[in-house]
This record gives sequence, structure tokens and C-alpha cells, in this order.
Amino acid sequence: MNWRIIGTLIAKDFSLFFRKKLFAALTIFGLIIYIVLYFVMPNSVSETLKIGLYAPVVPPVFNQLPNEGLEIDIVSSEEALKEAVIDGKYVAGISLPADIMEKFNSKQKPTINLYFTPDVPDEAKDAVVLMIQELAYMQTGQPLSIELSGEILGPDTIGQPIPPRDRLRPLLAVFILMVEMLGLANLIAEEVERGTIQALLVTPMSVKELFIAKGITGTGIAFVQAVLFMVLVGGMNQQPLIVLITLLLGAVLVTGIAFIIGSLSKDFMSVLGWGVLAFILMILPSFIVMFPGVITGWVKVIPSYFLVDTVHRAANFASGWSDLWSNLLILAGFCLAITWIGIMVLRRKFQ
Amino acid sequence: MTQDAIVAEDLTYRYGEKTAVDRVSFNVAESEILGFLGPNGAGKTTTFKMLTGQLKPKGGQARLLGMDVTKNADKVQGEIGVCFETTNLYEQMTGLENLNLFARLFGMRSFDGNALLERVGLGGRGKDRVETYSKGMKQRLMVARAILNRPRILFLDEPTAGLDPTSSETIRNIILEERERGATVFLTTHDMMEADKLSDRVAFMNQGKIVALDTPHKLKQQYGKRALKAKVAADDGRLEDREITLDTPETPEAVRELFSREKVITIHSEEATLEDIFISLTGRGLV
Repeated sequence: MNWRIIGTLIAKDFSLFFRKKLFAALTIFGLIIYIVLYFVMPNSVSETLKIGLYAPVVPPVFNQLPNEGLEIDIVSSEEALKEAVIDGKYVAGISLPADIMEKFNSKQKPTINLYFTPDVPDEAKDAVVLMIQELAYMQTGQPLSIELSGEILGPDTIGQPIPPRDRLRPLLAVFILMVEMLGLANLIAEEVERGTIQALLVTPMSVKELFIAKGITGTGIAFVQAVLFMVLVGGMNQQPLIVLITLLLGAVLVTGIAFIIGSLSKDFMSVLGWGVLAFILMILPSFIVMFPGVITGWVKVIPSYFLVDTVHRAANFASGWSDLWSNLLILAGFCLAITWIGIMVLRRKFQ
Repeated sequence: MTQDAIVAEDLTYRYGEKTAVDRVSFNVAESEILGFLGPNGAGKTTTFKMLTGQLKPKGGQARLLGMDVTKNADKVQGEIGVCFETTNLYEQMTGLENLNLFARLFGMRSFDGNALLERVGLGGRGKDRVETYSKGMKQRLMVARAILNRPRILFLDEPTAGLDPTSSETIRNIILEERERGATVFLTTHDMMEADKLSDRVAFMNQGKIVALDTPHKLKQQYGKRALKAKVAADDGRLEDREITLDTPETPEAVRELFSREKVITIHSEEATLEDIFISLTGRGLV
């Protein structure tokens, strides 16, 4: 292995990368735009619980509900209540039966239905349950005077109240990695198409050194950008080592994808065509973080899921090695597999 | 005794079912220029690629400077310079940056790119991006890149194809200078005149095989027909052509008769061209 040759190739690739006005501009302005986007997103969570209530008959005690931290809207039907909860209008929906007062009066336990969205935190659920039990106690003077039936509308996910802009962080980090992937893929495609690769291959440089240089260039540019972004938006404040390792694996992953796209493409347009396809696919798992519940478990077959999920949980919830080791292991596996495939297809193209 | 710089033994390459190069064998001595001629699809470029380590032979062996190209590709490639048929320069880099990049890849610590650019007629253009160069300038830069490591073997694939006469002449002079320095030159070309002028020996390749290999002079002697061509004045004043084949027992008598019986206006000897020989050997032209 000749590191002088590898260094020369890396310097050449960096130089060519930043001479491409489009990718140089995307690299610099992209970083600025993503940071601005992060900072213009709301940075706090509303503490007021918005609850929907369907009550054909409203027990008198419900008129004594506290106003502070609670906002209750009356809806016209149980179906309308469910729809509003699914739409995210309320964190919880309460449906009282029509015979609630008769049951209270006859010492029977009425059943009250509670509806929650998948990402409602447990604390909020507990608060709603406690409030209902308290109201029933106030109404009847008896503890445990009601039956509660809880239902999650939509797939259940773990969720905690974090500011929307922090939810956006993994998505933007993946965006940055993917844009750099397009740059590297274009560099490779041009190298093959213009025949400069042949000129390199008849020097003392080996194919192995070429791949190492390309790998370092691609991974380096993507990794540095993503780290810079995370540092500037506070994404490194918790579990910095895990976030760093995840971003590094992400950078290797997109470099492998760039090898594949570079080998499939002939010019900038075909890089863009294949790149957008990969871009959309890889960005999908980020929506599970941004909008919990909209995508189900099938996204786990997409390698970037483990990148997004790990960054999200480490940066936003300070999850540690014990929670995330399996994610990192799977991500590393995907990196190895995709990089290997990338090297194989690109080697064929070189020959 | 000088060692052969290039040795090809039963070199074979197949693209699927099609045999592009079929058990080709030849040697090129040190400081020799071998012109490698043949029509498109004859297997010249495939042979070129196998010799320079870009393709692994499916059969046979290529040895450069005593080293097996397949087994010692990196070592061999440190000793050769390659100029490709199509331009493959880093167009967004300057001429000087292109040369410096390759000088570093060859591990050259002291390298004067400007002097080399001057030598190929690109003095003063080193700081311009290659994308602003004309075709001739790019080709001269390609030749400069091929010789920057002072290669012991120089491979040139159609180095003057489609160039203006000035650029072609510059490149031909460089080829001769490199030979003077001691480099062996493997030159593929369509240009028969160029091959005739530059090559110590020429090889004709057709359908994956070498059909003839010798000095241009010997090939002309062996396969060509030397003749005297004369223009004579007829009785009515019109000019008529006369041709006398040389190197036959009847030649002296025919020459005597020509001068005694006819009024000779012009006379000159004519040799077969390499193209004539190629056509007579293969039944096809070089295009």
C-alpha cells in the first residue's frame, strides 16, 4: 500500500470536487440552509394538553375541569373524535357513554373510552387516566367507580415530547450525506466516462489504492459535513461518540452507494436519475422520526433507518450503547455489504 | 547482447466467443520503434491494452523489460509511458496540474513541468485549464504526460490521428527524441507514411493475427513491386505512360529499349507503399 499515491489521489479528488461549481455550491449553501432550517423550526413543546371530548350527557363535575394546562373541545360524535385524534388535533380523546349518569346513579360502573395517538408520551396518557378517575370520584364519591378502555389509534411508537426542530436533525444529517453521495458518484462516473481512470491505471497506482482514495474522499467529505452540521445544531451535546460513529458509518454507507451509482451512470444526468431514486429511498426512514406512525416497520429493510434511528435516539434521548449497539451493528453490516457491492461493480466498470 | 524490451508470446484475448487477438508473438528490442499497423478491429488496441497491463491475457504471456506484465503490473507500469488514442486528461485542471499529478503518482520528487510543456510546444499555457486547449494542444499534453517519467518503453496509440501538421510534426519529433534517449517505442497508427518514416520495423495485424513483421524496406522488397515509371511523347505529341518492373532479368533490356525507341520526357522509380503491401497481404484496406 503506497500512502503517497493514495494522498495524491485524495488531493486530486478534493480539488476536482470543489471545482465542480454545482457540488461546491450545494456543499456550502446546503450546510447553511440546513442549519437555518433547523433554527427556524419551533424549539419548544406546548405544555397544554388538547383533549377532545364526546359526551352525549355531560356529568356536572366535568364543568369543574381545571383550565390551566388543559384545553377541552366538545365534538359531535365518537367517530369525529377518533378522526380528530388520528389527525393529531388532540393528544387524547375521551368518549363518555350516553347512560353515564344512570350508571353512576345505580352504582354501576360505566365504561369510558380513551383514544390516544401513537406518539403520545406515557406521562400524558397517565395524566388523562388520572383526571378521568378523579372526576369520577368527585362525581360519585366512590373510588374505582368507572371502567376505562384505552385504544391507540394507528401504530404504536415510542415518543417523547421533543421540539420539532430536534426531530428534524437526523433527516437533515441524512440529506447532507446523500448530497455528498451525488457529488462522489458524479466524480466517479466522469472519471470512467472521460477515460482518466485508464490513465491512472497505467501508472504504478494499484486498483486497491484507487478504491481506498475514493473511499476516503467520499467518506471524508460526507462525514465532515454531517459532523459540522450536528455540532452547529447541538446534535453532539448528548452521546457524542455514538453520534460520531453513526455518522461515520453513514458516510461509509453513502460512499458505497456512490460507487454503485457511479458505476451505473454515464454522465451527470444519469447520476442525478439514479441518485434521486436512492435519495428518496434513503430519506424515507427519516419520516418515522419526523412524523411517528406514518410509516410502519417495513422501513427497517432500508439501511438508512438504522442511521436515522440511532442519531435520533442518541442525540435526542441520550440513549446509550446498551440501547443502540444492535442498531450500530446492523448499520455496520449494511455498510460492509453495500461498500463491497459498490467495489465489485465499479471494478468491473474499470476493467 | 541487448535485451528485448517487449516480448509477446502467444498473446491471446477473447471477448466472449470472439477471438480479438489470436496467439500473437513478437519481440521489440531496446531503443527500437515498432509500428503496429492494422485496420479497425484488427486487435491492435487489445494487444496494446494487454501489453500495458490494462487487460489480462486469456492466453500467452507479455513480458516488458523481463517482467511478466500480469504478475508485476505495478512495477512494469512504473517503467512505461502510455499515450491513449482518445483524450483522457483532467479537463478542469490546468496543464501543469495534470503533469504534476502524474509526476507524483510516479513518485518523482524533482519534476519540471514547465520545461516539459515547453518541449511539447505548450510553453506559457501551463496555467490554463485543459478545457480551453485545442485538440492538438491536448494531444501534445497527452504525449508530455506519457514521457514525464522518462519511460523505458513508450506506448503510443494513434498519437497523431486527426491533428494539424504542426502538432503531428511536434509529436513525431518527440518520438524520435525519446528513441534517441534510449526508449523503446510501440506505436499503433493508421498513418502509413508516419509508420514508414518513424518505425524501425512494422507489424501488420489483421483479424487478430500478425500477418507480417519486418523493416519497411524489407517488406517492400519482399512483398512490393519496384518499378520505373516514365512519361514518353508519342508521335502526335500526346504524353503516354510506360512502366518497367525492376529487379527482373528483363529489366536492363527494357530500359535500353525505352531510351532508344521512345522520347522520354520524365522518368522516376516507384516503390510499393506499406498500404499496397497490406492490401496485397490481406486483401483489405487499413480503414
